[in-house]
Amino acid sequence: MGGGEKRKSSFKNLANAKKRRTGPHLPSSILKTIANEKRPLNSDEGDDEIDSAYGDFYEYEEGVPEEESRKNNRYERVVNYEFELAEDCEDENVESEDDDDDDDDDDDDRHSRMLKNVTELPISAFQGESKNKRVVFTEPYPESEFNPTRDVLEGKSLTTIDDFMEPLQGLHGNSQLSNMISRMRKDTQSLVHAPLPKPEQERLERDVANELVYKGFDIWVPLVKRNREAPTIYFNQDVNVGYSTVGAIASQFHPRTEFEMKMASLLDDHEILEAHKEDGARLLEFNEVSMEDHIKRRNHVAKMRSMLFRVDLKHKRIKQIKSKTYHRLKNKDLNQSGVGAFMEPAMAKEEAKKQEARRVKERMTLKHKNTGQWAKRMLSRGLNRKYDVTQAALSKQLQIHATLSRKMNSTKDESSSDEEDLNDGSDQDTSKLIAEAKEKILKTVDDDEVPISRLMSLPFMARAVKKKNEEAKEEGKRDIEELEKFGGAETSKKSTNVVGRRVFGAEAPKESEKESDNLFDNSDSSDNDMEDNELEAVKDNASPARNTETIMEAEKLDDIAGNPASKTTFDVALYASGSWKKMTGCKNAESKKASKTHVPISQSQDKKESSDSESDDSESDDSESEAEQMVDGILTCGSKETYEIPCQAELVSRAFAGDDVEGDFEKDKQEVLNQEVPEPEKPVQVAGWGHWTNNQNKRGLPSRIVREHEEAKKTREQALRKRKDASFKHVIISEKVDKKAEKLQTKSLPYPYTSKEVFEQSMRMPIGPEFNPTTIVGVLNRPEVVKKAGVIIKPVKFEEVNPNDEHPRSHQKQKPKKKGGK
Amino acid sequence: MKIKTLSRSVDEYTRERSQDLQRVFHNFDPSLRPMEKAVEYQRALTAAKLEKIFARPFVGAMDGHRDGVSCMAKNPNYLKGIFSASMDGDIRLWDISSRRTVCQFPGHQGAVRGLTASTDGNVLVSCGTDCTVRLWNVPRPSLEDSSISSENFIEPSATYVWKNAFWAVDHQFEGDLFATAGAQLDIWNHNRSQPVQSFQWGTDSVISVRFNPGEPNLLATSASDRSITIYDLRLSSAARKIIMMTKTNSIAWNPMEPMNLTAANEDGSCYSFDGRKLDEAKCVHKDHVSAVMDIDFSPTGREFVTGSYDRSVRIFPYNGGHSREIYHTKRMQRVFCVKYSCDATYVISGSDDTNLRLWKAKASEQLGFILPREQKKHEYNEAVKNRYKHLSEVKRIVRHRHLPKPIYKAMGIIRTVNDSKRRKEARRKAHSAPGTVVTAPLRKRKIIKEVE
Repeated sequence: MGGGEKRKSSFKNLANAKKRRTGPHLPSSILKTIANEKRPLNSDEGDDEIDSAYGDFYEYEEGVPEEESRKNNRYERVVNYEFELAEDCEDENVESEDDDDDDDDDDDDRHSRMLKNVTELPISAFQGESKNKRVVFTEPYPESEFNPTRDVLEGKSLTTIDDFMEPLQGLHGNSQLSNMISRMRKDTQSLVHAPLPKPEQERLERDVANELVYKGFDIWVPLVKRNREAPTIYFNQDVNVGYSTVGAIASQFHPRTEFEMKMASLLDDHEILEAHKEDGARLLEFNEVSMEDHIKRRNHVAKMRSMLFRVDLKHKRIKQIKSKTYHRLKNKDLNQSGVGAFMEPAMAKEEAKKQEARRVKERMTLKHKNTGQWAKRMLSRGLNRKYDVTQAALSKQLQIHATLSRKMNSTKDESSSDEEDLNDGSDQDTSKLIAEAKEKILKTVDDDEVPISRLMSLPFMARAVKKKNEEAKEEGKRDIEELEKFGGAETSKKSTNVVGRRVFGAEAPKESEKESDNLFDNSDSSDNDMEDNELEAVKDNASPARNTETIMEAEKLDDIAGNPASKTTFDVALYASGSWKKMTGCKNAESKKASKTHVPISQSQDKKESSDSESDDSESDDSESEAEQMVDGILTCGSKETYEIPCQAELVSRAFAGDDVEGDFEKDKQEVLNQEVPEPEKPVQVAGWGHWTNNQNKRGLPSRIVREHEEAKKTREQALRKRKDASFKHVIISEKVDKKAEKLQTKSLPYPYTSKEVFEQSMRMPIGPEFNPTTIVGVLNRPEVVKKAGVIIKPVKFEEVNPNDEHPRSHQKQKPKKKGGK
Repeated sequence: MKIKTLSRSVDEYTRERSQDLQRVFHNFDPSLRPMEKAVEYQRALTAAKLEKIFARPFVGAMDGHRDGVSCMAKNPNYLKGIFSASMDGDIRLWDISSRRTVCQFPGHQGAVRGLTASTDGNVLVSCGTDCTVRLWNVPRPSLEDSSISSENFIEPSATYVWKNAFWAVDHQFEGDLFATAGAQLDIWNHNRSQPVQSFQWGTDSVISVRFNPGEPNLLATSASDRSITIYDLRLSSAARKIIMMTKTNSIAWNPMEPMNLTAANEDGSCYSFDGRKLDEAKCVHKDHVSAVMDIDFSPTGREFVTGSYDRSVRIFPYNGGHSREIYHTKRMQRVFCVKYSCDATYVISGSDDTNLRLWKAKASEQLGFILPREQKKHEYNEAVKNRYKHLSEVKRIVRHRHLPKPIYKAMGIIRTVNDSKRRKEARRKAHSAPGTVVTAPLRKRKIIKEVE
């Protein structure tokens, strides 16, 4: 009883600290009995069990005795004493109750003694009471494997073999039995465990099945993957259409007609077969022929021979017969072959006339040049290729044509071709020819120089033309040199003269100045094509020096007229010529000065000319020409002095006088910007609106409109700033959207694609038959699934597929693999 | 010195007959054809339009039943034969080409709910609400089939009475087992009057069963407890089970991919599962506006057809979220069963209006013999259309379908509901601590749990 008290008090103290007066009032005696009741049940249980058992009744236990004890022992008890103790070892007490178990009996004793003291009843009465009063747990269902008792669940109070053995202690054979049992205990191998509960068992089964199913599915993965990734999957490509080999077809043959039967009987004859197999000697035996057959055969052969002989005879006779047509043809041939050989002159003349007529006719009609209906048809069908006869006929016709249309030597034709003429002439005078050739070259070269149209007068065109001209001239020069070489010493001065005639343009370099001077004498006659009309008129004066000047003038005039093309070509040509260079080299400074002085003069002249009338123009021309004449008198190349070669910068500025590239570009860019990001319209006061009062007038435009305009401006500026070409001064990057091309483009990447590049690559090549050779059109257009209607597709059959073995797409495409429903 | 001359042999250019095609040579230099893309685009557009013009999917109706068609079975060995059964216990064999009844199989007292044929096409198995399983010998197809108009009746070769009504039946591929679904899953042999095996997992009745054609020992069932279960006959045990939010009406295995199955769900969507990972659908095929009643895979494994309670038949790609095609007619009522023909060219639907309907699987496909050049042209058109299908003009034409008004309206409502749900979800997410509200993907949302 003491142990119980102790624990109680400890609990009590614990509760004291927390809460007081909980639970209903119960007499302490009852509480104690209750406490006792539990004990026999829990007597041999573990610590936890005791705890839990107490826990069940804890609420009732603690509240009431606490109160009671407090009432009774208010002054007697030393509360602190026990309290401290409880605080210290509370946990220990609860957790380890081994010692409690030990003195449980002691507790019981004390408790009963106390009861006895209080109630003055014998102890046995209480003890009996405590033993009889057991708590009954009622279970709604009968105890079974599904509804085990608490004890069973917790693995306690199980009946063991020892329990059964106990009563047998000391009986006969007990030791033997115990020996057997101990042996069985040791033997763990033949131990049989209790079966698991059914749901548990089923779950395990399902787990195993699940794993198996998983594995079963897993083996399909490579095959399925292959099928899915294949660009095309084929079904039922190998449909059995019946026999495949000749042997298979022949094996099904059955003889039906009489002949077939006979053959079959012979083929199936065992004796013959055996004879064949052995050595064939016996075949002779089977081969014997009856007399009748022999005679029959002989007669037959004789008949055939006689027939052959007759046929032969007939052929011979036919050969000898010559028909009318034969003779006619023969005669014709004879006539054609040797017409003039043995004929009288009159006849020959007649014949020649006829022949001539025929020839004329042939030339006019071209009858034999395979233009006839028949010939055309033959040719169009290509039959002349296939049949030699046709080919021969066609070629014969051609031959006739050739003979008929050939020029006869006898006829003296004046209109001989140039080629012949050339050949004839070549013997006579090579030098003349060469001269002519040179002239031609020069002519063509100079032809190029002539500015043609307004288009050509554009600066860049002019530049291009000039470049080309120079190239052409170079070429011409080279040709001329070649010709000279060819001509050698024979080439007279005339020829060089011819060269020099047009030197003032670009060709001057190698000729001496004097020579060039001389040249102008005979230049005029053929100059028509290069100079303008007015120039020609001037040239008629026919003074050499003057001539040069007039030419220069013409160039100047061109300048004045604002034709930069001719000017630039002229200047550069001057500059390029080597001899001129020399001249400029010796008096460099002077020339520079001259050019400086010259330019303003010319400009002033220009101004003058532009202001004055045309007559004035001519006058000034004259005066200028005079001045130059004087210079010419001093120096043969006096013209060079007046046409001072300008410095490089001047040249460049003159060359690009007309085009302001940067300005143009800026203008263009601004235009593009305006087009792509249009400028907002300026707000305008509309007449009649907002003019009612003076106030309105004064106020001007409504602030809203102004604000909107400002905003529009701002947005435009922002848009301009956002453009790609905003930071580049010399670039225009158009951001205009082409509406027609827009529908060919997608805004977002289509589903299976993840990168833009791949998608674009896939769309790059067209797939149509017009854009691809026939061999790959089929591959490009092949659908994903190829199947035949009317053929049953069987479900997939398992086949080993190496997952690492990647089949290349191209290979797959080229060689269709049959898979799937085979 | 190189001399280039035109050399063309006459032989190559000469036609043997005047009908022969003239040989044409092309220069395939791309710089010569700068407009190829525009040209092909225009062709794609034309092809799309032509496809619309030639789209005539309805081939014919097979009329004869006196009650709604409850189930169908195709003859795996004979293309022209199809079996159908109706709610009044009538079973018929149809000749598809002539669209006439070949013979009838009378005997069932109540509705026939399940129909299947053996792989060799000789045995027909039917079961129904009269608690019987009946086996029939199918008459061999003869040449005079179509000419005989008189209907012959066939007696069942075996009748097995069992404890409960049946909901579905399916035959093993190339085996002699068949499975019936009812209060439990029963596996039968042709020659036994009692099931060889019985499975029960849970107490609810099984409403559909389908054998895996690739792996003949596996089968999947769906039950009225909203579950889908996979069974393995080798271990005679169930393997896996998931429970979804709504009931699955029918299941189809992909015949070319044995691990994949698609479930036709009561919520109007189909869910494609990988048999190894059932906790999440591979793909959700949405488009029907009412319960999907039946589903059948194309033998190519690339498409499947579904019949729905919304009176329409749809064809889905096996990996696409939306249908490729919708078929409907004014007279077609609730579709209870659909089948894809064994050559993947036709689709057959059986509906409440007692008719079977035959459709082309590709609405604009040209039937009959096609010359090689024609075929090439078709292929090119298809390829070009496929190439430019993502461009708006082509897409609009290709996708456009006329819908019956009820379906159109219902789609609108569904869209509205979904939108509002999404909005709500988004708001909830926005107003709660980040990470607390997680939106499950649609593939997982409808799956409640996977049972071990």
